Amino acid sequence: MLLSAAILSSLPAARAGEGNNPRLIRLPSPTSPLVTLRVLFQVGAADDVPGKEGLAHLTASMLGEGGTVKRTWSEVLDALYPMAAEIHFYGDKDTFVFASTVHRDNLEAFATLLAEQVLTPRFSAEDFSRIKQDALDGITKTLRGNDDENLGKQALATQIYAGHPYGHPTLGTVAGVAAITLDDVKAFYAEHFAQDRLILGFAGGYPEAFPATYAARFSALPAHGKPRAPLPAAPVRKGMDVLLVGKPSLGNAISIGVPIDVTRGDDDFLPLALAASYLGEHRTFNGVLMLNMRQKRGLNYGDYAYIENFIQDGWTTFPLPNVSRRQQHFEIWLRPVPPASAGFAIREALFETDKLIREGIPAAGFEATRNFLLNYINLWAQDGSRRLGYAIDAAIYGRDIIAELKAHLATMSKDDVDRAIRKHLCTANLVVVVVGDKVKDLAKALAAGSPTPIVYDTKDTPAEVVAEDKVIESYPLPVAKTRITIVPANNLFER
Amino acid sequence: MRHIPLFILCAAAALAVACAAPKPFAKGNPVLAPAKAFPFPTTVKTLPNGLRVYVVAFDSPGLVAYYSVVRVGSRNEVEPGKSGFAHFFEHMMFRGTARFPTEKYNAAIKAMGADSNAFTSDDMTVYHILAGTSALPTIVNIEADRFQHLEYAEAEFQKEARAVLGEYNKGASNPLQPMVEVLYDNAFVSHAYKHTTIGFLRDIMDMPNQFAYSRQFFDRYYRPDNVTLLVVGDVTADQVLPLIEAHYGSWSAGPARPAIPAEPPQTTEKRATVPWKGASLPMLLIGFHAPAFSATNIDSMALEVLAELVFAERSPLFRRLVLDEQKVEGLDGSVERHVDPNLFTILARVKEKKDLSYVEDTIYKEIARVAAEGVSDKTLAEVVSRTRYAFAGQLSTADKVALVGSEFLALTGDLFAIDETFNLLSRVTVADVKRVAAQYFARENRTVVVLDPETP
Repeated sequence: MLLSAAILSSLPAARAGEGNNPRLIRLPSPTSPLVTLRVLFQVGAADDVPGKEGLAHLTASMLGEGGTVKRTWSEVLDALYPMAAEIHFYGDKDTFVFASTVHRDNLEAFATLLAEQVLTPRFSAEDFSRIKQDALDGITKTLRGNDDENLGKQALATQIYAGHPYGHPTLGTVAGVAAITLDDVKAFYAEHFAQDRLILGFAGGYPEAFPATYAARFSALPAHGKPRAPLPAAPVRKGMDVLLVGKPSLGNAISIGVPIDVTRGDDDFLPLALAASYLGEHRTFNGVLMLNMRQKRGLNYGDYAYIENFIQDGWTTFPLPNVSRRQQHFEIWLRPVPPASAGFAIREALFETDKLIREGIPAAGFEATRNFLLNYINLWAQDGSRRLGYAIDAAIYGRDIIAELKAHLATMSKDDVDRAIRKHLCTANLVVVVVGDKVKDLAKALAAGSPTPIVYDTKDTPAEVVAEDKVIESYPLPVAKTRITIVPANNLFER
Repeated sequence: MRHIPLFILCAAAALAVACAAPKPFAKGNPVLAPAKAFPFPTTVKTLPNGLRVYVVAFDSPGLVAYYSVVRVGSRNEVEPGKSGFAHFFEHMMFRGTARFPTEKYNAAIKAMGADSNAFTSDDMTVYHILAGTSALPTIVNIEADRFQHLEYAEAEFQKEARAVLGEYNKGASNPLQPMVEVLYDNAFVSHAYKHTTIGFLRDIMDMPNQFAYSRQFFDRYYRPDNVTLLVVGDVTADQVLPLIEAHYGSWSAGPARPAIPAEPPQTTEKRATVPWKGASLPMLLIGFHAPAFSATNIDSMALEVLAELVFAERSPLFRRLVLDEQKVEGLDGSVERHVDPNLFTILARVKEKKDLSYVEDTIYKEIARVAAEGVSDKTLAEVVSRTRYAFAGQLSTADKVALVGSEFLALTGDLFAIDETFNLLSRVTVADVKRVAAQYFARENRTVVVLDPETP
């Protein structure tokens, strides 16, 4: 048990909004020379003011990359330097977190700096100018032009959550960020960065009394923030949509997805997690998609499936903690394929997913995936920082996903998985996003419903693979011509 | 934070490491080594066939990291048309043996619930498995098998070649990939550092036709005297070494390996422009030839210190260009550690094209200022402090300890070079910093690449 015992002993009785805020999570490890602090606010892009999309991110950036009342940002950097400490912040639709690990020699000095950042932001015009321009460049230059795979993921999110608070990039939109003023940031901070949205986490070799003492500093924040608006239901999708994002490229990056009515807080998350792992655990080689698309056919570098928002934690293969969401989606990620084979790749992903839904998980695949996960989940929280991240997520969801999987995988049955798959997954309502070159050719082929054969320039493809190729190249793709859209990359995320 | 990772090219991580000839260790009895900057109890043993094994005890209950460090990388791709082959071959190592065909190998990894992958850099190829300690016998069994008895058909080889093309295409949407490719192609004339780890696109396109060469590559480089095993975690040498000896003991030496051509001194400045179809910030990538990494040559450590002094987020240059003038979105400078002389690289993501020349000129003037004026002893001491704390911060899991260790193994063949490196760092003086700033940053020693976006 990596987490559950520590979490149960550390969770306060009250939940957010019920008093006793901020909530504290403690994972002491007295012999460790390192200490991790996580300061998490349940504030995210879903809290953005309409017309000012990007406001939550810009506000958090002013805390994470701007000065304080006492020090300019340059002076903060100067103070952090000898400690090899960074104020690492990131966020998503429902959370922003400031997460840092320091040597215990530097805990007090660093913790003071971090508290100053969060409690007494400087909100200077110079910081605002820099950070706002960085956000605009991040959308118009970096996202649109430097990373096709991330562009595809962000474009997918805008499609499946159109009209919903999750329906714009966390970074914001061009018009939204352009409209934000420094006064907007100050007002957003005052309304949202409050004790009842705050969770403070501590892991590692900190003094026993440190968390309570440190938490007392955060009483300077308002006790209550603006009441969080209930999240509307995800848009109900009927039928398939295809968004083709045109831009120069060597390959076509593909993201496919649809909202699902399941999060870690639900019982069905566990069997669905097993199903997604069977289809394609992130950056592993044993998923059905990976084996069939990369290994047998050499289509691309990797193919994976997810049942919740997934952001990779640095160079690891594991998910970034503390990007919890109140609603989740199913997603298939196909890494860039040759444009001539993009239609085939989409069809193969749907072919394999439909097969799983129709036939259920094979008994051998169920057993192998269950055994895999029983061991693999031990790798999800190896160090203090990640253990703390998972503990905080457990507090938010009300469930410790690692402990739950440990407890329930052993008794889970193939029928449990098949029932959850049939209940929650359906390919007929998916959104498909393709980023890259030659998308007009792809649009024509998909609109006509004509076969999209794979193009090999290698020899000796096994006969059984060639036979299956013939089935896949004509696999029904239920998309109406009117629901195939082409948009230039430079037009995305305007508003 | 605004530092920019420069060389993100390979399967799992971008590391700059090296493979000088390993230092001689007495064959036979294990030696318990002293621990300093690398504070973990470590046992080392070299088998009669030359395979060296390090076992590092680390407090990771129930977990073990098993790293196989092969001292081969794009540095060794000396034959025309073979750029990218070390990395491609890394992919082929997952294509099975007679005992463990691909499906069986994958099933074994899956049954362990392991995190298993590999990465290649200029100087090394590293295979890593992180799993429960109880899986150790299986890990040793399957790893020893594929390192000695790899076997794959030409059809599988060709399909994997196209997965490598997919990897190239994946990276190609980031303008840093073509910029780095052009930088090294221009900066180097003779040495294999002329090409990046993933290789030239023309060579990748031809990879399906290189089946016979792939067997030669395996024969040359996947030999016990060219591999080091690093086992970190909740294990003891008594558990690990008998397994290693049993499974790797009969592995034999191979043929002689090709020499790597030396790079002649650069005599004139070189400049190139990379056009970029689509949106991007303009960028400036500059490379100055710099010495190889060494745990004993003060210049390589003084250049690492200089990189911190000039390009860290608290530096005067960062403050001026990024915070005060706000002409640059991201700034980075570093000397990547390599076996052979490589480059000190500088990257600036510039907000407007019209400022490119100004930014470039300002960078050069700041290096010249440090060469002339130096820095205070206090500032130098802070660099040392930061470096020590940053290193300690990296050693938080068995996997991370093994990753850090694998870099030093590939660079020097010796895990204890970590302590030597930190001893050397503590001996760097302000005079050393001034000297390297004056010596290595001459105009004729640099290559400059500018990214020119269509939609800036």
